[in-house]
Amino acid sequence: MTSANDSPDGGLGERLLELDRLEPEEPAEVLDCMFGEVKSRCAKSDRTISGFLRSRSTVTRRAIVLTVFALLSLVGWFVFPLVGDQARTAPWTASLVTFCVLLLLAMLMVTRPVHLPELPRWQSVGLVSVAVGATIVAAFWPLPAAQAATPEHAGALMAGVCMGVGLLLGVPVYALLRLLDRGNALGSLVAAAAAGLAGNFVLKAHCPVPGTSHELLGHASVALVFVLGLGLVHRWLPQKPR
Amino acid sequence: MSGSPTSSAATDEELMEAYIDGDEAAHRLLFERYAPILLRLTRRHLRDDDLAREIVQQTFFRLHGARNDFRRGSSVRPWVMTIAMNLVREHWRRMKRRKMTQLEPDTHAAPDAEFTPLELRQRSELLHVALEKLPTSQREVVELHWFQERPYAEVAQIIGTSEGAVRVRAHRAYATLKQLLVSEIRGDE
Repeated sequence: MTSANDSPDGGLGERLLELDRLEPEEPAEVLDCMFGEVKSRCAKSDRTISGFLRSRSTVTRRAIVLTVFALLSLVGWFVFPLVGDQARTAPWTASLVTFCVLLLLAMLMVTRPVHLPELPRWQSVGLVSVAVGATIVAAFWPLPAAQAATPEHAGALMAGVCMGVGLLLGVPVYALLRLLDRGNALGSLVAAAAAGLAGNFVLKAHCPVPGTSHELLGHASVALVFVLGLGLVHRWLPQKPR
Repeated sequence: MSGSPTSSAATDEELMEAYIDGDEAAHRLLFERYAPILLRLTRRHLRDDDLAREIVQQTFFRLHGARNDFRRGSSVRPWVMTIAMNLVREHWRRMKRRKMTQLEPDTHAAPDAEFTPLELRQRSELLHVALEKLPTSQREVVELHWFQERPYAEVAQIIGTSEGAVRVRAHRAYATLKQLLVSEIRGDE
């Protein structure tokens, strides 16, 4: 079976061989039936949008995600005004760059090819935790009140609006990533974190409301709601095979 | 080269390329070559016939979705094995999460009683139990290295670790198996 140096020696090798010989052969009709089911499942999947997208090469799938992200950013750039020049501080820039980098990492994880060994779970869980943590930390560098178009005391009231906008913006990102996910472990959780990051990115770049409480309630909560809501619920519900 | 892409003499890689081009016969030949290997692999890990079949079907379903990632010059076997091993791990994780730990081994996968002597079955059962006592990371190595006859480098590629780590796991696994089975082996000598 294998070279002498690599093999389990003595009686153990014999026992392992014995065990292997005892495995029953699958009858041809069972294999035929199994192949028939695989073929019909593949054909059914090929007829759906998600099946079509998932069967694109990984390069193509990633290009699709980047193109959609770029288009959304362009639309956001032209449609919604950015925060004022004075508000574009170093922490503001750092927050946006961090969100971008984390979003990119999440996209790479979700679109990882399934013929590669799956990533250790701590990496996915770590990314999700860092993503949620980053949105919370970013809330402690809010828009300076002097630069804001809205008074600080209105921040808490506006939080609901921001949260709604953030959730709306995250949904297409989540949907796109799930459509392209071939079934990576924790894919739904990572996609949910990515959706939260996308929502936070847009809110951070454009929201004119000052105050940490506003950003915690209206911005950081978006990532939390996605991760706890979509990610976990989807994970615990029975899923169709991908 | 080995003739037409869909002849039984074609290499796995030739079949895979033909399958990517839409050749149904190549798809079938790939299935016929790999399904029995994967069934043995998954049965040994799961000890449940139905589940093993489902995982094998799921492996081919995922292979279908991933086929456009296949590059000329790559080898098909590590692809298929990696997908199957990922699915087996996913299954164990899901089982752990649902707290549906199987305390009793499923005997569906055991050979038919009328064809196997009782003593042989008992020894096989003993070995199965010993294999089940190994940590998953070591069992995977024994499965791929010994039963599937894959070299250490390929095993490392399939399970996503270094060749050195695989050698260490194999050494530990074989040592543990020997220890677990020592009385039975000595009894034979």
